[in-house]
Amino acid sequence: MQRLALLLLVLILTGCAEPAPPAEKLSATDLLSELGQAGFARATTPRDFQFPRDHGGHPEYRTEWWYLTGNLLSDDGRRFGYQVTFFRFSLTLPGGEKSASSWAGNPLWMAHVAITDADGKRHLSEERLTRAGPGLAGVAITPFRVWTEDWQLRAEGSEFPWHLDLTTRAFGLTLAVEPSVGVVLQGERGLSRKSAEPGNASYYYSYPRLRTAGTISLDGETLAVQGDSWLDREWGTSALSPEQSGWDWFSLQLNDGDNLMFYRLRGRDGKDDPHSAGSLTGADGATRRLDLEDIELTPLRWWQNPTGISYPVEWEMRIKSRDRTLRIKPLLDDQEMDHTVRYWEGAVDVYEGDNLVGRGYLEMTGY
Amino acid sequence: MVGSRLRSRLWRAGFRHQRRHTWQAILSVLGIALGVAVVMAVGLANQSASRAFEITMEQISGRVSHQIIGGPGGIPERLYTRLRMEHPYLPSAPVVEGVVRIGEEQLTLLGVDPLAERPFRDLTLDAPPAVLNQLLTRRDGLLIPAYSAQRLGLQAGSRLTLDIAGRTRETEILALFGARSQAALDGVLVTDIGVAQTLLTQYGTLDRIDLTLDGAQAARLRAWLPPGVQLVETEQRTAAMAGMSQAFQTNLTAMSLLALLAGGFLIYNTATFSVLQRRRQFGIMRLLGATRGEVFRAILAEQMIIGLLGTLLGMGAGILLARELLWLVTRTINDLYFALTVSRLDLAPPILLTGTLLGLLTTLIAASIPAWEATRSSPQSVNRRSVIERRSHRALPWLLLIGLAGMGGGLGLVQSSERSLLLGFAALFCFIMGYCLLVPTLVPPLSRLLQYPLAGAFGSIGRLASRGIDATLSRTGPAIAALTLAIAATIGMGIMVESFRDTVGQWLAQTVQGDIYVSATHSASKRASAPLPDWLPSRIQQLEGVAEISSGRHVTLESERGPVHLLAIGLASRSYRGFRFKGGTLPDLWARFAAGDLLLISEPYAYHQRIQVGDPLPLLTPDGVVSFTVGGIFFDYGSDRGLVVMPRERYAALWDDAQITTLGVYLQPGQPSGPLLTRIKQLAGQAERPLQVRANREILEQSLEIFDRTFTITRVLRLLVIAVAFVGILSAMMALQLERAREHAILRATGLTPRQLLGQVSLQTLLMGLMAALLAMPLGWLMAEILVHVINLRAFGWSMPSQLSPTILLEATGFALVAALLAGLYPSLRMARTRPALALREE
Repeated sequence: MQRLALLLLVLILTGCAEPAPPAEKLSATDLLSELGQAGFARATTPRDFQFPRDHGGHPEYRTEWWYLTGNLLSDDGRRFGYQVTFFRFSLTLPGGEKSASSWAGNPLWMAHVAITDADGKRHLSEERLTRAGPGLAGVAITPFRVWTEDWQLRAEGSEFPWHLDLTTRAFGLTLAVEPSVGVVLQGERGLSRKSAEPGNASYYYSYPRLRTAGTISLDGETLAVQGDSWLDREWGTSALSPEQSGWDWFSLQLNDGDNLMFYRLRGRDGKDDPHSAGSLTGADGATRRLDLEDIELTPLRWWQNPTGISYPVEWEMRIKSRDRTLRIKPLLDDQEMDHTVRYWEGAVDVYEGDNLVGRGYLEMTGY
Repeated sequence: MVGSRLRSRLWRAGFRHQRRHTWQAILSVLGIALGVAVVMAVGLANQSASRAFEITMEQISGRVSHQIIGGPGGIPERLYTRLRMEHPYLPSAPVVEGVVRIGEEQLTLLGVDPLAERPFRDLTLDAPPAVLNQLLTRRDGLLIPAYSAQRLGLQAGSRLTLDIAGRTRETEILALFGARSQAALDGVLVTDIGVAQTLLTQYGTLDRIDLTLDGAQAARLRAWLPPGVQLVETEQRTAAMAGMSQAFQTNLTAMSLLALLAGGFLIYNTATFSVLQRRRQFGIMRLLGATRGEVFRAILAEQMIIGLLGTLLGMGAGILLARELLWLVTRTINDLYFALTVSRLDLAPPILLTGTLLGLLTTLIAASIPAWEATRSSPQSVNRRSVIERRSHRALPWLLLIGLAGMGGGLGLVQSSERSLLLGFAALFCFIMGYCLLVPTLVPPLSRLLQYPLAGAFGSIGRLASRGIDATLSRTGPAIAALTLAIAATIGMGIMVESFRDTVGQWLAQTVQGDIYVSATHSASKRASAPLPDWLPSRIQQLEGVAEISSGRHVTLESERGPVHLLAIGLASRSYRGFRFKGGTLPDLWARFAAGDLLLISEPYAYHQRIQVGDPLPLLTPDGVVSFTVGGIFFDYGSDRGLVVMPRERYAALWDDAQITTLGVYLQPGQPSGPLLTRIKQLAGQAERPLQVRANREILEQSLEIFDRTFTITRVLRLLVIAVAFVGILSAMMALQLERAREHAILRATGLTPRQLLGQVSLQTLLMGLMAALLAMPLGWLMAEILVHVINLRAFGWSMPSQLSPTILLEATGFALVAALLAGLYPSLRMARTRPALALREE
């Protein structure tokens, strides 16, 4: 999951609340690929993942995130999607000359929280953006805790279940997540290459299905909910290559137990980048890599946001090896995240023919 | 038809008159110009300083409605973390602020978190990403206002050496912000909060947290805040800070009005003369059918043109003068109140307009009296000068009455206005005006009194001289009044400054009881003086010849009513003598003070806060508000904001701050201070940051130097008032003597030699100078009394004895005589050179 990180840093620094026109975003990406990577570690070879250590931070890499998305159903049958994300962006190398100032040289943290209320036809989201400073944000392993101001993802010790307990202006989210399928190392044993250039890669692991239960507080009501979540963890130093313009990322949890992740990197020339990749994990945890040749993606329907940016919100996905054709429909067209950075991230239903065969999340950037 | 021709003839006659008496007109213009210039210059300088302060605060405070502030140690930054965790929806931003120097100039270093800035300030928002990245990642990057950069010759990429509490730090200008022409932020360096903490070595604490709150949020937050910090409204705090220098600025304005008043007398003089000189002409015009109104308007219009010319000239001169004054005003504000950089004159239209109106209004009032005089008389009698003189004398009882009423009113106003500074000044002006009106009534008895000794000394010339003054009272009266005013002003201000300086000198001598003092050069914090190294006291104590040491910690506590200076002292046995109390103290003062029950407060603090001995005084400590009792009020001239004194142990315990700021070293009796001074300097040299080691005498000298520096502006104003008066006197005397050309010619014709005439005229003008000096002495003294006991007290809260210094009186008399003599010189020389027949024929 390449996700947003590459765009984010520069956009945060420009403090760009207004959506930048695509051309500008791209040039910002260019700038970033030149900026501040020197000295940071790079993901070049597969590593020996160790847990729970690797749930914690990797400050020697420039960017890192904890990404939870999920589909939930309330006891009274209402359908929800949720997203909780913590991003870390380091500005300077750790381990350099230590400053006594708690503000000096530490990373920026950005957190996004959103829910999609399918029945209420609304997508509610909020952002926290801060630097680590004197304990304003950070990550710890024992007990496990990732936080940005008042929002946090934490565990009692260092093991699952992980707990979310956060409040936004519009809603509250209290969830516990516990894996029902084990960890999946994406790419080559967890090394996920994003372009041909060595080091333009990240370390990437997922928990493709986590049992999720808790409550959503909305409109003065507290609804008991349960469902499945997907956790992505990724860290690295690389940026998109200059020829890449954005990506479309899918995480689908099918009713038959399969869990599919696929990201399509888009080239500036409009073609799919050969480094687009993914994985297919069965209920037993057996994982198979997916490459560009394995998946065929076709946008079916576009949705235009108020500023004129169009996202392909409905897709057809052909899994060639399984000879399955899935149709991916959003719970809501407008699931755009309009914060320091603007992207589309939303809950989707998966159909095969007329049958609902699964649920998932879709992320689209660079539009 | 006839009327309009007459009118135009009146106008033309007026014009011709002014052309014939060019010098008189020029002096007149000059007088009003100087008056207006001084008023405008002071007004503009004051306005520029206030505006600069206001705009700087506005830019620094931005859209901040409230601030969380703490004690002398600032706010622990964890409080900000807690605030963000528990109140994530209140817009809040951490701020670290300090004072840095570039050479002699003081600048504010503002450390902000660019990520939290958006709701508050635009300072860092415009910076390009690369610059922001550098700001966040480097240890030495600064943003500087484009205006300051230009002024200091800096640009992006320039290295900049800052002097921070005596240590030098290398920094780099990353980028400029603001417009090149925008002087508002001059003197503010902006950087990342981490860089600011590093540069100021102020880790773990913030100076304040900025917030934007509504009333309900503020109330909720107040309840949430831990003890030791408080939530204040920015507006209130800014106003309290601006108020600090208000009294000083009001004083300047009042003094400038004195200059205008002198200018007003000048206009009155010249208008009177020009009317008198043309009494014949006006008489003829009236006989030809000109109405009173037409004559009145013609005279007034003529004088208004002079007034307008003077005002315009004064405006130009005022702007030029303001540039010089601005520097003096800013320096004084920096010395006494807060760091302020004002590099540009704010040509505020309201000030320019007020100055212009004041100039024209003064002219109007001053010229209407003689114009009215000229029209009041019947056409025939205008012609006769004796009528005017008789009328002048007839008016004397009225003047006496009005004058006394003015003075009485002034004194009454002093009594009834209690604490108002403005009313204090109004009273002073009433009093002065009243006295000036009184002057003409005092001239005849005075001249009669002087007649006999003069006759004895100079014979008939002496008698002539003194009688002449009485005989031409309509002109000598105002001239003497103007000179009296000017001299009295110099006497009054002189006595005030001298008394002040004397009092401060004595106070210093008493307060500075120690033999040697050690302190840090200057502080980077706005809240606390720079601390001394903690090993220093004991090392000094161990030195041979040292009897004991006293210590002090000087901090500024924040409050909604502005900063409160607190001095925590560890007293040596001799330091008790350093306090002189005003009125009584509570019993067992020192024992209870040492025990920590009592506080001592300085006189200005007591005055401003209306606190008396025995009153409770709550102070905000880190553990919440602690109430103390005021044990005594001591004289202190160090700060007009006032000072609160408590024992150091008590302060250290309450504020958890054991640092010290100053050390007083008391030597054993008979011990020479020289060797120990050297020894202590050596010790201080081992400290990380530079320390000042000064002998008692040096401190006294340096303090008085600063005193003199802050009073430079007063001296300059005093000189300016004198200059206006001098021009006034010159023009009045010249006009007077020129107007008496015929009289002089007759004197010549009856056998007076040119030399004798010169003697007679000089004697007369000298006599007027002497009269003015004599009359000015009581007024000057009374002015000084009001300045010292009313104005100073109300403005600063300082009481002090006034001291009549003979030097000032002698100086003033000398000045009066010289001014009068110089003024009489030209006309008498001219008269002496003219053949009497010619002068007679001209008439």
